[in-house]
Amino acid sequence: MADRRRVNGPVGQTIPPIYDTPPPKFAANQKSQDAIRKIFLKTGVTPSASGSAYLELENPSSSTGRSSTSLKLTCTVHGPRSLPRSAPFSPHIILTTHVKYAPFATRQRRGYLRDSSERDLGVHLETALRGAIIADRWPKSGVDIIVTIIEGDQDRNAPENQADDGWDMMNVLGGCITVASAAIADAGIDCVDTVAGGVAALVVRDEKSQPTIVLDPAVAEYHKVFAACCVAYLPVRDEVTNIWFKGQLPDADGMLYAKLVEQSLIACRNASRVVIKALEDTVHPGQDTS
Amino acid sequence: MATATTQHLLLSPAELAYLHSTLSLTPPIRPDGRLATQFRPLTAETGILPGTYGSARVCFADGTEAIVGVKADVEKTRRTRISPEGQNGRRQRRKRQIGDDVGGGEEEEEEEEEEESAIVGENDWVEMTVEILGHRDDDNSTVFLAAMLSEALLSDGELTKKLWINRRFHWKLYIDIILISPPLSYPLPLLSLTTHLALLSTRLPRLKSEADEDPMFDDDWAASQPIYPSSRASSSSRPPITLLVMAIGENIIFDPSKEELAVADSVLAVSVVEAAVAATTTTTTDDGDVDVDMEDDRKTRRRNLRLLSVRTVDPPSRLTAPGVPNAVNAAAWGQAPPGASAKDPGVETEDVEGVWRPPRGGAKMAVLSAMVQKVLEKGGIADEVLDGLDGVELE
Repeated sequence: MADRRRVNGPVGQTIPPIYDTPPPKFAANQKSQDAIRKIFLKTGVTPSASGSAYLELENPSSSTGRSSTSLKLTCTVHGPRSLPRSAPFSPHIILTTHVKYAPFATRQRRGYLRDSSERDLGVHLETALRGAIIADRWPKSGVDIIVTIIEGDQDRNAPENQADDGWDMMNVLGGCITVASAAIADAGIDCVDTVAGGVAALVVRDEKSQPTIVLDPAVAEYHKVFAACCVAYLPVRDEVTNIWFKGQLPDADGMLYAKLVEQSLIACRNASRVVIKALEDTVHPGQDTS
Repeated sequence: MATATTQHLLLSPAELAYLHSTLSLTPPIRPDGRLATQFRPLTAETGILPGTYGSARVCFADGTEAIVGVKADVEKTRRTRISPEGQNGRRQRRKRQIGDDVGGGEEEEEEEEEEESAIVGENDWVEMTVEILGHRDDDNSTVFLAAMLSEALLSDGELTKKLWINRRFHWKLYIDIILISPPLSYPLPLLSLTTHLALLSTRLPRLKSEADEDPMFDDDWAASQPIYPSSRASSSSRPPITLLVMAIGENIIFDPSKEELAVADSVLAVSVVEAAVAATTTTTTDDGDVDVDMEDDRKTRRRNLRLLSVRTVDPPSRLTAPGVPNAVNAAAWGQAPPGASAKDPGVETEDVEGVWRPPRGGAKMAVLSAMVQKVLEKGGIADEVLDGLDGVELE
């Protein structure tokens, strides 16, 4: 007699349903090319951590009121705390960054162990923050910065079988830098400046149009992304702590590259204003500082 | 993080200050007497591993040595795409292609005309592992190195296109990189150059079957075909190379050794690829001359370099211990200023000439742009390195 207590799944492999005609992509809403999407940033969301922040980035589609992509990140900072007795002497603070996608954050489920792309993001984030933190004020201590990606910036309406091309990682990194910067400030760790992340990309909107450089690209809305650049920037010092560019540029000399970086600096300055506003709200709650 | 891959360097603050000041001179004076744009001498050979489809070994003069082996498997392509019959399916596949290969502009038009030419590669057809002796393979720095190398390799989508056999099968390429010496300096350029040579020497068996049959291969290895054909005239692309560039003040220094990295203000890893000749015919008018030059003298031929990726590498200098100026050092009979004695002594002092301070903050944009520009420069270091690699005999 078959086991009637359990509802067994199908014996063989199954594939998710695939529609013959995938739903049309939401047309890129007429966000101007030199504006970034609206950022919601709030610090102090996790009481048990010494510093924390939550960032959300969403572009409501003008036609349907729904949005096709969204980025939701939360960051907690634990420390500075003393290193264990067994650790060797360090004249600086030991910075550890963990970036982890929630299993449900992307179309393809992520495991609980960090895979190589998450570790890679962690290294980028560490480079971006290490330049900002004044590390020699905390000898013999460590700080853990943990960023959890609740929703990665992927197209919600894309068919399941569509391959990942990794351009959304740029947006994720930009968000990680911004949210970690707010959380570090919330934890009261001395920094030379509030670092902010920004992304610019060379995209085409549809098959016929010319490639243009846009700030903060919602990858799902564009026909094709040629190249993208994510920069971590210290606005007051006018310095860059991390730069990540990849892709193919049509021109041979570095003109387009320089332009792309310049545009991502604008995105960084916009994000930096949001960070400063969120920190002012934390310091003077209730006051409308704007 | 750079510390794990560069062996921890025990240099005193005084030594660091000395290195930093000599490297900030114009022109910089490097500890090993090289010019700012001079590469370390290296020995290279290919085809050293008979059990692989392609292999290479590169040994730098400082004793670091890497081996790369390339192996390939025939793998069934996942049938996740919609069947190619009908317009819908075709549109769907087009979309996938656009996602997968970056910058395959010509490929799209071809596909419109003919189903057969719908060559689409996927990034997971290439698997790259980096092993550094004494480090865990899930160590952050190892993962970072592997990500950087595979990003450069995959970003133009040319390599994965070459792995396409037919609509049902593809080659899966395993590139295994082993650093067999202890990592005496940041091993990125070494690993990149070795991978470049190994891929140039990689040959795949000649396909005998046709169209969508189960693939059958010629078992004569002499008939095998290189995945990067050596003939320059064809529109074949070349594998990328990744160079390490560092800046101290205004000085830009290529291929830094570990002592130089220990005082770097900023470090960039820049990946470039030599653009295919066919792709350039439309862009430059004097291309005819270039072709003539190519036959006459390979040295004078100008290469068309394309930027593939740029990444900041965390400079290990941030982790060095700061020096203590004499003014606040009690052991040197320094007299702290009377006002400061009540405060926490000597934690934050102004920059003192000749006293080492780890760099704080980031790098100026102008410096970073100049570093990338210098790599892309015609007749610059990337050209020199590619010329050197061209001279390596392929088995």
